[in-house]
Order: sequence, then structure tokens, then C-alpha cells
Amino acid sequence: MSIPYLIAQWQLPQQGRLLYATLVVLGAFVLILGLVPLLQTLPPRGRRVLIVTITFLAGLFFAAEFFLPVDWTAIFPKDDPTRNFLTPAIQPAQNVLQIIGALALGLGTFGLVRLHMRNVVQKRAQWGYSVVLLVAFVTMAIFSILNTLSEKGVVTKTPLLERGFSILFDYTLVQLDAAMFSLIAFYIFSAAYRAFRIRSVEASILMFTAVVVLIGVVPLGAYISYTLLGLPQGPPPENADWWTQFLHSAGLPSIANWILTALNAPAQRAIEFGVGIGGLAMAIRLWLSLERGVT
Amino acid sequence: MTYQHAQDNWFAAIVIGFIALAVLVNILRAKTGAQLYIRRIPGLDAIDEAIGRSTELGRPVTMIPGLTTFGVVAVQALTIFKYITQQIAHFATPMRLLTGDATVFAVAQEAIADAYNEAGRPDLYDADNIRFLSDRQFAFASGVAGLIQRERVAASFMFGEFFAESLIFAETGNMVGAIQIAGTTSFTQVPFFVAACDYTIIGDEFYATSAYLSREPVLLGSLVGQDIAKLLFALTAVSGAIISTIVGVDSPIIKLLGQPGGWDAFFQWLQGGGQ
Repeated sequence: MSIPYLIAQWQLPQQGRLLYATLVVLGAFVLILGLVPLLQTLPPRGRRVLIVTITFLAGLFFAAEFFLPVDWTAIFPKDDPTRNFLTPAIQPAQNVLQIIGALALGLGTFGLVRLHMRNVVQKRAQWGYSVVLLVAFVTMAIFSILNTLSEKGVVTKTPLLERGFSILFDYTLVQLDAAMFSLIAFYIFSAAYRAFRIRSVEASILMFTAVVVLIGVVPLGAYISYTLLGLPQGPPPENADWWTQFLHSAGLPSIANWILTALNAPAQRAIEFGVGIGGLAMAIRLWLSLERGVT
Repeated sequence: MTYQHAQDNWFAAIVIGFIALAVLVNILRAKTGAQLYIRRIPGLDAIDEAIGRSTELGRPVTMIPGLTTFGVVAVQALTIFKYITQQIAHFATPMRLLTGDATVFAVAQEAIADAYNEAGRPDLYDADNIRFLSDRQFAFASGVAGLIQRERVAASFMFGEFFAESLIFAETGNMVGAIQIAGTTSFTQVPFFVAACDYTIIGDEFYATSAYLSREPVLLGSLVGQDIAKLLFALTAVSGAIISTIVGVDSPIIKLLGQPGGWDAFFQWLQGGGQ
């Protein structure tokens, strides 16, 4: 639910909606900027009480929205059975988080530019890299902003703009991303070499298992198992004896599949359960302001 | 947009309530003086060793929360980095904190400044050491890899949420001979860290880190509550396996253990209306 949508609900005239939306956003900024000096005047204890209260209320909102029943049609027949009275406020709350994120992005970008400007001005070691960064930053920003404005029809889309944006984005940035991603293949090779060196029993088991899975999931595994060794393919027939059942499951593809689904997947799920419980406990500590690390 | 609610699956909601209760009860127990045990985690014991090596070599320590957006994972990662910063502040070891999320960057600046203040060395804090590089995955990866190479870091701590870029960080650190300690909740990246780092903190050990390092009663109590919850999950998994073997996977009692609408199926089954 966006601000223009909310304003539309107030039945404002069509022409004035953009103005009202701008005023609401500016008003929110003024309110927040006014709150900062107000908070500064509070003693640390008072500030802490305020933060704890706001954190608790914000957490309570999401917890209440989740736990409150959604189907009230027995009492209110016209009510939507898929949501309770707090559900419509979820989206605006998430929008607030996005706005905070956008403000922080400005802070981050400012920090980055400031650091590299200092590098250049003070001619610190390797300041040439900072020049490259600043030039790339400004060029990309100009072309991106102009391209977005041209898509909205605010400025004319000239061939220079179109070609320039394409060179910078499609033929430079995307290709650099792909180059970095491709490097992972070589890093996997060097990391795997170290991990599979047989130095202990665990490393030996790791290497043996990895070889079985590697061969089992590629066509070579099926070729070795079913063509060279002549093992039967597919599921065993009904009422087959144990030896036939064994032969049907002894192919490398079957073994690799068993390792992935019966050994690997349960271990990963166990880790996921642990992570989920840990995250929930952490969330409870943050909600009740019991976590004192960075809060 | 539709959202999940407790009413969709009361069983899951009860489980969440039980975990929350287990955590809170044990926090209260810990606060009232109960002695709680926490097992040794070698990766966390090695933090001091890595800091010591950086100090001896006079080379920086890097702390990387990855592409973690601001949330519980980021708070946990910053808590660990705050502890590490307090330790390095005693020896004036240089540090770099590199992040790919702007919100984490803003909070990290405050957390690191606090860490230097609490260590009694506010003069060592330099805002330029906490850097937001880029929120594009591989631009961030190349920025981190470049810094590790140029500054020849002696220790690298990677705690947070990582994706495909994890191996780029870990292998680059390995190339410059840095001691590397990693901890992540992204289980798909654990094998890469295990292969390339000296110590890896796996899964929920990541959330145990702050309790292990600080030994605060609240955190230790929370950890015991988490262990009780894990025991509940283990019992559910084992009993589910036994019951499904006996009565079949389509039985209402199995559906009750997780699927939406499981409670309705179970009540129908009890009333003789189901299978």
C-alpha cells in the first residue's frame, strides 16, 4: 500500500495528489529531523526506555498479526476470511523498512565517495584506483539517471544516451559480473584440491564420497554401471529377491542419488532446523531488548 | 498479497510458542544464578590467535558480514565483530569492516565506534575503516578480493549470510596466507568455507557465538533454550519416522506434524471420518 494509494483513499482531487504525496513525504522528513534533536536532549536512560518501548511495540505488532485468528466470518459475515484487522498494515510497515534502507544507501554511497576523494586529494598509496572508481561512479550515475528519465519521458532518448548506457551497463558491468562469477570455477578447483588431499580418515571418506557423486551424476556413471558392468537399470520388479533388488540399486547413479537424498539432505535439514531455532531465539532477545551486543 | 498466520497451521504456531517459552524460561533461570555449561567451539577460541598474528605482522584484520541485509543475522555478525574490535583495540591492530548492505554499514559504524570506546581507545576509531563497497554481489566480491590482496590481510573473519561470493573471499584470503574464521547461516556455502578456511562455525553455532564470547547469563540461558527446542525437533523427527513406518506417510497423524490443514485431518480421523 503506497502513499499515493493512501491519498487516493482520502478522495483527493486527481490533480493535487502528487502535491499532497510530496507534502506527506516532506512532512515525514521534517518530523524525523525534528525527532533527532529531541532524542539528543533525553538522558541515556530515557533514550533507552524509548527505544525498548518502540522495539517492543513493533515486534508485538508482527507477533499479534501472526497469532490473531483471521477468520471472523462467524461474527462478521462480510469480513475477509484471509486476513485480520492488522494485516493491511503489514505492507506500509515493510515500506517504512525500504525507505530506511534507501536513506542508508545514501549514507553508504557518501562514505564511499568521501573515502576515495580523500585518497585522491591526499595522494595516498594506490590513489589511481580511487580516480578510476570516482570516474566510473560519476559516469555510470549520469547515464543511469538520464536513461531512467528518458524511459519516463522526462528527457529525450538520444542515440548517444542509448549507446552509452548500453556500453556501460550491458557490455561492461554485466560482463564484469560474469567474469567474477566465472572465477569461482577456478577457486572451486583449488579449494577442492586442498580439501580432498588424503591426510586423514575423514578426508579419505570425503574424497571417496565426492568421487562417487561426481561420477554418478554425469553420464559416465551410467555408462560404467549399465554398459560396462551390465547392472540392471530402473526399479526392481515386484516380489524380486534381495539379490535382484541389490543389483538394481548398485549402479553409480543410484548410489549417488542415495548419498544426496539419504545422507546429504537430512544433514542439511538438521543444520536448517538449528539455524531457524537460533534465529527465533535471537529475534526474541531483540524484541524484548535482552540482546546487548549492538543494540 | 497473502500472509501466513497461526490459524493456517496451529501445530507450527504451538511449536513456535514452545520454543519461545523454552528460551525465556532458561534466560530467567540463568539470570537467577543457575550454572549453565557451554561446550568448546575451536573456531571461536582461534579468534585471539588470529588477532595476535595480525598484531605481530602489523597487517590488517578484515571483518566481512557478506551481503547480509539488516536483520537477526546482521545483528549477530556485528556483535561478533564488536567483540573482535574490542580485542584488537588493545593492540592498536588495523582493521577493515567491508559490507555490501548500506543499512548494515550505518549500524556497523556505530557498533565499531562503541567497541573502541568500551575498550578505552576511542582515538583509534576511523570511520574510513568501515566501508560500504557495493550492493551488487560481484562488484562487492571484487572489492573485497582486491582489498585483501592489496593490503595482504593477516586475519579474515567472515560472519553472516554469504552466497556464491563466499569462495572468492575465502580463496583470496588463503592466497595471501591469512588466518580465516568463517561462520554462516547459509548452509550451501558451508562446504566452501570448510575447504578454504582454517576454522568454520556451522549452522546454529553462529548464534551461539555471542554467548560463547561474552558468557552473559541472558545469552547462555537462551542457548540452553535453543538446545531444548532442538531436542524437541529431534524427538519429532525420530517419532515421525517410526510412526510413518508403522502407519504410512498418508496417515493424519503424520500430516498433523507439518502440513497445512493437518489439524482438521487429525480431528476428522479421531472422529472416524478420515482414513
